[in-house]
Amino acid sequence: MITRRTVLGLMAAACLPAPVARAALREPEFLKTKLADGSLPPMAERIPKVPRVVNLAATGRSPGQYGGSVRMIIGGQKDIRLMTINGYARLIGIDEHLALQPDILESFEQVENRVYTLRLREGHRWSDGYPFTVDDFVYYWYDVLNNKEMRPRGLPLDLLSDGKPPRFEVVDRLTVRYSWDVPNPDFLQRLASPQPLTLALPAHYMKQFHPKYADPEKLKKLVEKEGTDDWTGLHINRSRTYRPENPDLPTLDPWRNLTAPPAEQFIFERNPYFHRVDETGQQLPYIDRVLLNVSSSGIIPAKAGAGEADIQSYGLDFEDYTFLKDAEQRYPVQVRLWERIQASRIALLPNLNCGDKVWRDLFHDVRFRRALSVAINRQEINKASFFGLARESADTVLPESPLFKAEYQHAWAQFDPELANRLLDEAGLTWNKQEEMRILPDGREAALIVESAGESTLETDVLELVTDHWQQIGLKLHVRTSQRDVFRSRALGGEIMISVQQGIDNGIPTADMSPAALAPTGDDQLQWPVWGLHYLSAEQKGEAPDLPEARRLVELMKQWKQSTSTPEREAIWTEMLSIYTDQVFSIGIVNGTLQPVVTARNMKNVPDRGLYGYDPTAFMGVYLPDTFWLDGSG
Amino acid sequence: MTVSLPESGAPLKHYVSTAPFDPYSVEAMTAGQAKIFQASQTRLMWWKFKKHRIALVSGIFLLALYLAIVVAEFLAPYNLHTRNMDFIHSPPQRVHLFHEGQLVGPFVYGRQMTLDMDTLRRIYTDNRNDVQRLRFFCAGDPYRFWGIWESNFHLVCPARDGQMFLLGTDRLGRDVLSRIIYGARISLTIGLIGIAVSFTLGIVIGGIAGYHGGYIDLAVQRVIEVLQSIPSIPLWLALAAIMPVSWSPILVYLGITVILGLLDWTGLARAVRSKLLALREEDYVLAAQLMGASTSRIIGRHLVPGFMSHLIASATITIPGMILGETALSFLGLGLRPPITSWGILLTEARSVSVIAFYPWLLFPMIPVILVILAFNFLGDGLRDAADPYK
Repeated sequence: MITRRTVLGLMAAACLPAPVARAALREPEFLKTKLADGSLPPMAERIPKVPRVVNLAATGRSPGQYGGSVRMIIGGQKDIRLMTINGYARLIGIDEHLALQPDILESFEQVENRVYTLRLREGHRWSDGYPFTVDDFVYYWYDVLNNKEMRPRGLPLDLLSDGKPPRFEVVDRLTVRYSWDVPNPDFLQRLASPQPLTLALPAHYMKQFHPKYADPEKLKKLVEKEGTDDWTGLHINRSRTYRPENPDLPTLDPWRNLTAPPAEQFIFERNPYFHRVDETGQQLPYIDRVLLNVSSSGIIPAKAGAGEADIQSYGLDFEDYTFLKDAEQRYPVQVRLWERIQASRIALLPNLNCGDKVWRDLFHDVRFRRALSVAINRQEINKASFFGLARESADTVLPESPLFKAEYQHAWAQFDPELANRLLDEAGLTWNKQEEMRILPDGREAALIVESAGESTLETDVLELVTDHWQQIGLKLHVRTSQRDVFRSRALGGEIMISVQQGIDNGIPTADMSPAALAPTGDDQLQWPVWGLHYLSAEQKGEAPDLPEARRLVELMKQWKQSTSTPEREAIWTEMLSIYTDQVFSIGIVNGTLQPVVTARNMKNVPDRGLYGYDPTAFMGVYLPDTFWLDGSG
Repeated sequence: MTVSLPESGAPLKHYVSTAPFDPYSVEAMTAGQAKIFQASQTRLMWWKFKKHRIALVSGIFLLALYLAIVVAEFLAPYNLHTRNMDFIHSPPQRVHLFHEGQLVGPFVYGRQMTLDMDTLRRIYTDNRNDVQRLRFFCAGDPYRFWGIWESNFHLVCPARDGQMFLLGTDRLGRDVLSRIIYGARISLTIGLIGIAVSFTLGIVIGGIAGYHGGYIDLAVQRVIEVLQSIPSIPLWLALAAIMPVSWSPILVYLGITVILGLLDWTGLARAVRSKLLALREEDYVLAAQLMGASTSRIIGRHLVPGFMSHLIASATITIPGMILGETALSFLGLGLRPPITSWGILLTEARSVSVIAFYPWLLFPMIPVILVILAFNFLGDGLRDAADPYK
């Protein structure tokens, strides 16, 4: 059976123009010395036979010139992961229109969402010049994933479908195949996600840390030097791809790390074997080096506004925009506003697994949740904190998503205190004698405690406004700030009543992306952590949802996992979205808020408008920062 | 003329002056001197204190502030939480007297806000035709005086349907001046309540240790050393963290004051103890003991008053420490929490880089903090000098 995706994959492969005009290739100045002394082959030999051609003109951009370093400020060492996210070199990636494209792969095919065939590019090399081949998949599959010492608990969940692992086959020297008996529709999306499912490691490098290949004496010494308990710890430390801490680890990303932590500055330089080229055949990336300066996240806006960053979005927020815009006059920087993709910039999540029985019963009552939602004056919040530029909405998909319907956005998102009061009356909350507050069925005052991580003044402001709004319907609100790290365990223990944080991460899903965020599927979903744990642990831990609507969501989620066609998935998404918004499982406030993106003024090819978020657009990843270039005259 | 001796046995002739005789005439004092000589201790201290100009001014300033916080609701033109969504981040308005050369009395010009959608700034321009005369002793925002009586009487209000933001507004359009006035109520009293707690503890514990000496003294000294060796900020943090979130803001406020007081008594206890160690050897203490006075009476009636002035002076110097302590705790987000508003809270809200760049008026709460701390320090200085008037 040939599905739409198969066709797309094949088309993308077929569309690649024949590698012409190779003769006129200019080499980056940066590599001159290495080219001269022969340690690097010329460009034509460094890129795969069929490279990924990024057609810049087609997206209104232009091919650029090589050179330059750009600076970026990070909040801590772990943020070097931004290079992996923004670099966005994936086996398969999504493009600006959320469609899947082969990236590192030359092409891919799938049959019934069960059998996935991945074809590599011939002549593709790791950043150290060693060929990238099926051997790297073989090594990772047999010696890492299926090694009992490495993975005592078996394969990662993403590789299991209905609890069963796939069959792994090497079809030919460039092709591998993963096949399951039942559909695994999330597989391709997981390969394309900002923190991707890993399928291959540079075997030629990693083998020195594997007892099957390494000299035992040498390995023992290495383990001792690393200070880990055994070789698995060493292997894990040396093979981190998401957080590229190991400068020796060959990579396929546009830039490779040269600096081992701990460091104040991380230097990334161009990967001379990167597989993307522009339409003139010039190898990407254009920019030679990326310097990541470690700072503290609180002062990133101040530093970015003082011209200390050439490309910066991380650590900046809408409230910094005025300041950054002002900096345009003093420093050679440019600020753009992109649109954030979270389903809600700030959402209130009533904990349906709250330990207090009275409150839990109230949270289970849909009238109560709806009352909480319609009592909020979203327009006022929008005006006060977002210049009225945000979209007042429930915690649901954005209009940019093909699944968007206006009814989701407006579901219980109107401002109607009268309706809220009526709903609360129906829910059995009576007023106290002074007619100032409502009292709970057991006689206590109806005072809600909202937990906030206290990370931004935005949360404080919104909560202050919500406090007033809820006062109108006789509910008191207290704010408690606690560490984000302990949120999950406290929510699981039922200690949290309501938490405030961002809404659903991915507000621009397509039907082919997993709807897991809409159903209780994880213990980090603070509106139903215990139910989420139930699903996550394959019904071993936690409790099954005892709300019929939540049960239906789980059922639909399971159906999605079995689905084999996009229309089928669309129908599932539609039902889930309408249940989720109608039931107000999380109270969204505004979405589509704006995100400042600061770049050097002479940086070209940066889109003026863009979608900004972690999943699925990988921050700047889908806009391919390797195609950004610095205009020397600027 | 011959001078003859008197007959034997007869008294010798002598001259007796009839002028009145004052045996103290050599020590005679002027009226002024007498006044000093006969003046009570308090009076002497007052005289001495009066000479310390800065201390006097500081004292009057503080007195005025403390009187003001009693009637904060009346003085503040707006309520603490009155939001004005059309005037977010409005800069301070100037009070004018003359409009086009004519005296119209204090007024402000009306304001218009335009949104600059390019830089996303709110730009306020004075509308020169819109003269908004301020009203005095007027009806404005309704409030509950001390949380009891309903009223809407203010010292000064904006014109009807007008605005008056003398120190600008914050990011929710709340009047900064009003918030500073309300914040003063918390920030200024927190020092007083804290000092009361630490005073009581210091005098009682220090007094017992000093008077009894021996093992009791030893034990108390060790406890004090342990307490003093604990770094104060983490301890504040820990104590502040255990306060239940469901406590009403007022209880939290009391809790914070008690915490500040609980940590502050050690220095005072030491001072009291060392004084008492010396004073308890005095004869009048022995006399009191012989007459059967109880320990608490001897300490409270005979010993402590002997150096009360010193205590008052040191207390005055401690208060600013407490005010700063509260400000620091709130600034770190561990002290008071909104909706309670103190100067520390106001400053917490003003620490982003855009505030410093674009909305500097949000840093106004720094000025009263600095002034009050300085005033307390000067006052304490003056009091300490005055406490020993004979010097």
